[in-house]
Amino acid sequence: MPGRPNLRSRPLSPSAVAVLRAIAGGTRHGFDIMEATGLPSGTVYPVLGRLERGALVRSRWEAPGTAQREKRPPRRYYEISAAGERALAEAVEYYRTLAGGRRGGAPGGLAPKPQRS
Amino acid sequence: MSDLHAFSRGASGGEPPWSRAAEVTWRRCRAMVGCAAPIVPRDARSAWEAEWLGELHHRITALDSAGMLDARARRGLLIRTLGTLPHALWVRRSEWRLDMLLQDLAFAARTSCRRPAFSLLVIGILGVGVGANSAMFSIVNAVLLRPLPYPQPERLVYAYGAFRGGNQASISALDFLDYRARTRSFSSFAARTFFGTVVLSSGEPERITAPAVSANFFSTLGVRPLLGRGFLPDEELAGYGKLIVLSYGLWQRRFGGDSAVVGTTTLVDGEPFTIVGIMPPVLARTFPDQAWRVFPFHVPETSVRRFHMLRGIGRLRPGVTVAQAQAEMDAIAHRLEAVYPEDASWHLRLVPYRDVVVGNTGPILLVLLGAVGLVLLIACGNAASLMLARATARQGEMAVRTALGASRARIVRQLLTESVLLGSAAGLVGLLLAVTLVRGVHAVAGNLLPRMSEIHVDGTAVAFTMVVALLTGLVFGLAPAIHAARQDVAMAMRGLGRSTGARRAMRLRDALVVGQVALSLVLLVGAGLLLRSLWLLQRVEPGFDPRGVLTAQISLPTDRYTDHPGVERFWSGFLERVRAIPGVERAAATTMLPLAGGGDTYYYMDGHPPASDADKRTAQVNVATEDYFATMRIPIREGRALGPEDRLLGSDTLGHGTMVISEGMARRLFPAGDAVGSRLVVDLGRPFRGEIVGVAADVHAFGQGVEAPDIIYFSSHQVSSFTDGRVMSIAVRAGGDGGRLAAPIRDVLRSLEPGVPLANVASMDQLLRGSVATPAFRTRLLAGFALAALLLAVVGLYGVLAFSVTQRTREIGLRIALGARAREIFGLVLRRGMLLVGSGMVLGLLGAAAATRLIRGMLFQVSVLDPLVIGGVAALLAVSGLAACLLPARRATRVSPMAALREE
Repeated sequence: MPGRPNLRSRPLSPSAVAVLRAIAGGTRHGFDIMEATGLPSGTVYPVLGRLERGALVRSRWEAPGTAQREKRPPRRYYEISAAGERALAEAVEYYRTLAGGRRGGAPGGLAPKPQRS
Repeated sequence: MSDLHAFSRGASGGEPPWSRAAEVTWRRCRAMVGCAAPIVPRDARSAWEAEWLGELHHRITALDSAGMLDARARRGLLIRTLGTLPHALWVRRSEWRLDMLLQDLAFAARTSCRRPAFSLLVIGILGVGVGANSAMFSIVNAVLLRPLPYPQPERLVYAYGAFRGGNQASISALDFLDYRARTRSFSSFAARTFFGTVVLSSGEPERITAPAVSANFFSTLGVRPLLGRGFLPDEELAGYGKLIVLSYGLWQRRFGGDSAVVGTTTLVDGEPFTIVGIMPPVLARTFPDQAWRVFPFHVPETSVRRFHMLRGIGRLRPGVTVAQAQAEMDAIAHRLEAVYPEDASWHLRLVPYRDVVVGNTGPILLVLLGAVGLVLLIACGNAASLMLARATARQGEMAVRTALGASRARIVRQLLTESVLLGSAAGLVGLLLAVTLVRGVHAVAGNLLPRMSEIHVDGTAVAFTMVVALLTGLVFGLAPAIHAARQDVAMAMRGLGRSTGARRAMRLRDALVVGQVALSLVLLVGAGLLLRSLWLLQRVEPGFDPRGVLTAQISLPTDRYTDHPGVERFWSGFLERVRAIPGVERAAATTMLPLAGGGDTYYYMDGHPPASDADKRTAQVNVATEDYFATMRIPIREGRALGPEDRLLGSDTLGHGTMVISEGMARRLFPAGDAVGSRLVVDLGRPFRGEIVGVAADVHAFGQGVEAPDIIYFSSHQVSSFTDGRVMSIAVRAGGDGGRLAAPIRDVLRSLEPGVPLANVASMDQLLRGSVATPAFRTRLLAGFALAALLLAVVGLYGVLAFSVTQRTREIGLRIALGARAREIFGLVLRRGMLLVGSGMVLGLLGAAAATRLIRGMLFQVSVLDPLVIGGVAALLAVSGLAACLLPARRATRVSPMAALREE
């Protein structure tokens, strides 16, 4: 079962944590999340799908009127749920323990990469 | 939402239009999204598409309006759009993903390459197992599975003559014609003489097999001539038609494949025969024939219902079963029996032609295929054991992966991918090996197996190999993979899981070793039984002394040797000159050379004719020149050998004929021991009445594994009517090596009869070896498999013990530190190893008791539970096991307690 939020059975994958962190930090659209995490599109979208199935994130479509006025397709955006916030906190804690209480919090690689244009 | 594709900024009102680059990029990205979209399930497709296009549109607009849509950015967008494919696949089936598989494969390849020694060892072990299986399968496929190479081969049926005395006899020509005329079950019913050789005398004389066939022989098989034609229905009725059809092989070899020979004549037995056609090579797959003559029906020689000389081959009408045809033929047989007294108890026995071709090789091949399957199983056990050892070493890696979110299924899949990859590599190695092995079988087995020319590694065999290799990968990878996935993450991460996980792995490896020992014991017992059978078989005294005897066959032309005195003159003159060759000790000629066939006839005790045909006794007839017993060194047990005194031709009609009979026959016929001086009447075409003047030792004329037949010996001076002595085998005893005598003997023959070939030249030793070639072949194969199994099992045992010593270094070091002596440590490892061997042997014995039943039919004077064989095999396994234990045990005694403790 993808995206199970049950940590006792299995923790969130590092990419899921990264994506969740990006959304929690206010990044809302798919391509923006890729930039925020540095993960490729082939990873980000399945992760988003899993998180949504696990009810850790919600997705909405922007109001159709806006898009129509601007003559462009509507965009989809993602928000973190309360369960998502809890899961993120637990996951961060988990990886911190795993890393043996090393300083610097989350293990390297999980921090958002600097944005590239 | 297909209208989404219409979005483009070019025509919009308020916003500034897109640059040309933006338009192109948008079109390309949109096309890529469109390509991946069909993968997404329909109900989710429009939303999926909308999200991608929405993001792409937004991004292009943003970059374009900022003037940042340079080549790099465009490339980045296109690369990002490539993500539609994995995304679409993920939506399609979120668990199984192609990219994961590719990732797994790439990862497996990398890990395998990082440990080349380990990978090569696994590939090598499995490659041998797969290769042997593939080769064996190629043989079984060609011989047993593949249909015969004729159209609708399942409708072809072979017909033997059968009577009260046997069911593999021939059919008389007149009976055949009656069956053919009356049968409704067969759409076509043909015949072929069982024997038949002729001499091609244009050019270098050569004896070839050229049976005579009914005109419909080729059409019954469904074979069309390559060139020219077959025989016409009228030709079989027209007396001795001097026509010949050549096989492809003979045509190529002797006539250089020249198509102009069709219609020309060639000398056959000294007479001109017209070559009417050439047959395609396909016939050579089931018939040893080199040429065919048309069978002459309705001539005096073939119109005797008592002369059985044909075998039938028929093509059933569609829908008719063999049983139905048999019932019809039985009914015809009854009608014939009622009319012709000489047909009493004679009928036809129908057998699917395939069964006749395959003969009795089926069980042997299946046993060998089973044996080679066991070898593969043992190889799998070894590979699994190696993988387990490595899995233990990779425990940390697996724990980290689990901790990082890899599911169990993912880890199992990852490890399985690795083992399947190794298995596939082993499949390729095995394929190469199989090609080599099949070539070897061709070189070694000659024509021991039916359909030998069809045996090669073909597409089916390649497919079989790859399937076996993949299954092998799954079989040897599954247990280690599941084992690795069961690790407790947290414990393993802290380095605590090692002992429990390792112990479980160890138990699994122990079980594998026990299984390997058991399987190899089964194979060793099988091979041991066959070896002992072969040994006993070869120790059977043949009844003559084969050493230094050269044999050959000579057939005199019928046109110039018409009477007995002429034939007599030839043989005495020829043998006289052969004896004069330096190095020749003795020379004789006979109609029945041991191991070269024979022919039997009826006889009865003089004065006691049998009440009916069914009570007739039969014995083999051997007409020989007077030096025969001395040349072959066949001991005379009673009375005397045949000599110059048995000369009177035609004396038998006066009741003065003489004969020598074989020992077993004398014992059974004359239990009182009064054979010499008694009289028999023997059917040699006419009754031959004569006195037994001697008893000769039994000769295993049909092979050492076959009981010595009853033989009646006649002097060639006396008996002229049986074969006329025109076809005889010669036996020449030389002081040393008989082989170098072939050339001078051929010179002698050429000086007397330039057109007559010296055929079938072979030493008696060769004939004797040839008679046990089939059992020797299968014994050698099974022994090879068993040795491979033993080797694999020993290597497996060694690996397990060596690994366990490494794992227990700390424990052993502690024991030594606490005062354990080297002997005790040595015993510790040895006991463990021998416990595994012992358990395996017990299991194996049970298995062997069940499995050896399969080879009971191949054993000669050995019971399936032969104590000598089982004891020997057990000893061999115990010694091999001991040897495998020695090195690890020695190493254990050398563990330094300090080093062991420091290691932790």
